[in-house]
Amino acid sequence: MAAAQAEAGGERSVPAGPAGPAKGAVGAAGPAVNHPEAAEEELSPPPLPGLQLVQQGAEAHVYRGLFLGRKAVAKLRVPKRYRHPALEERLSRRRTTQEARSLLRCRRAGIPAPAVYFVDYVTNSIYLEDIVDSVTVQDHIYSVQRSGNDTSSLQDLAEKMGELLARMHDEDIIHGDLTTANLLLRPPVEKLDLVLIDFGLSFISGLPEDKGVDLYVLEKAFISTHPDTEVMFKALLKSYAATSKKSGPVIKKLDEVRLRGRKRSMIG
Amino acid sequence: MERTHQLELFPNYNVTLLLFRHVKNAAALRKKAMEGSLEGALINPAMIVDPFQILVAANKAVHLQQIDKMKTRTLYAEIIFNLSPNNNISDAFKKFGISDSDTAVLIVLLDSYKTVNLEDIASQVEGQQVSLDELPHLTDTARVKKSCSFRICLVPQSRLCLAVTRR
Repeated sequence: MAAAQAEAGGERSVPAGPAGPAKGAVGAAGPAVNHPEAAEEELSPPPLPGLQLVQQGAEAHVYRGLFLGRKAVAKLRVPKRYRHPALEERLSRRRTTQEARSLLRCRRAGIPAPAVYFVDYVTNSIYLEDIVDSVTVQDHIYSVQRSGNDTSSLQDLAEKMGELLARMHDEDIIHGDLTTANLLLRPPVEKLDLVLIDFGLSFISGLPEDKGVDLYVLEKAFISTHPDTEVMFKALLKSYAATSKKSGPVIKKLDEVRLRGRKRSMIG
Repeated sequence: MERTHQLELFPNYNVTLLLFRHVKNAAALRKKAMEGSLEGALINPAMIVDPFQILVAANKAVHLQQIDKMKTRTLYAEIIFNLSPNNNISDAFKKFGISDSDTAVLIVLLDSYKTVNLEDIASQVEGQQVSLDELPHLTDTARVKKSCSFRICLVPQSRLCLAVTRR
């Protein structure tokens, strides 16, 4: 009994470790981190030629490689061993289905997102189009701000972003994880050819509340990652309101959600 | 002339595509395929924009066969079904399969443990085998767009999620 408890205690501490260092920095893990990483290594990489590990997130391992002759991205969901297996299976399946469904819905409506090449409902992995030589909007904003020749191009970018999100929401697609790292710019960057990625937390909903929250998440991400971008976000909202037919209630909800946010004083 | 590609996720399977023009015996070929004496998928090249579509459809077909979840009865029928954006098997065959009056045929062969005899298949076609590079000439873009109801006009490569439309 005591031994089993000790074992359970030991197992629980292992998953907690890799969640920190494993995210982002791949290959930079020092010898001390190797042992906890072994728990995540159980996921075998897909047998694609030219395979490269892109990211080892908590939700999924992302790889790049050639699939059927095309550059592709493979997202393999990480099984969470601490969950009850039936629950794990159901959750994984649902997430994969939602991601695939949202991506397909975008594609049908002409909203730029990666094409889905193959969905494996057994391993809950998705094989998608790789948007080659793209830059994340996050990196783009960093480099523009660093180089100094600022506002006008970023304002145009914000307008394009607002337009794109309006179109997405008009299709009742909620992204669920809107950040500047989940928006890509196809080369050449000046064309402002945006592509939405990472629909892992997305779902379908017509509710202004859900759309408002989607925008709120982006606003928060904006403010925290990119200083001095309030004007940019304003432009984004303006073009969102101008493009979307149903934007009125959404913006209203956004204001409500802002008031609701964390650390708000409950006076009155 | 023909193109072969190995399915990365199913390394035992190789997909071979053969393209024929000026075909005179489409009706006979179709009959043979339905009877099962011709082991291959006979596809109408006018509906195909890029061979990649076929590879994606074949990949999905093999996957479904392995988990015993095919919607049709044979692997080759499943490939044709996967090419279609909607869920109707006979509709898929009507659109993507060949009809008796067709003069161009795209044959898809899948070999796993037993190798496929290309000459044998090619000899049964009364037509001229041409390179897959000629496929764009045979594509009927208007017809493809009509059957797929996209809201905006996309670059050919981007259309490929069609094969994956079903859950």
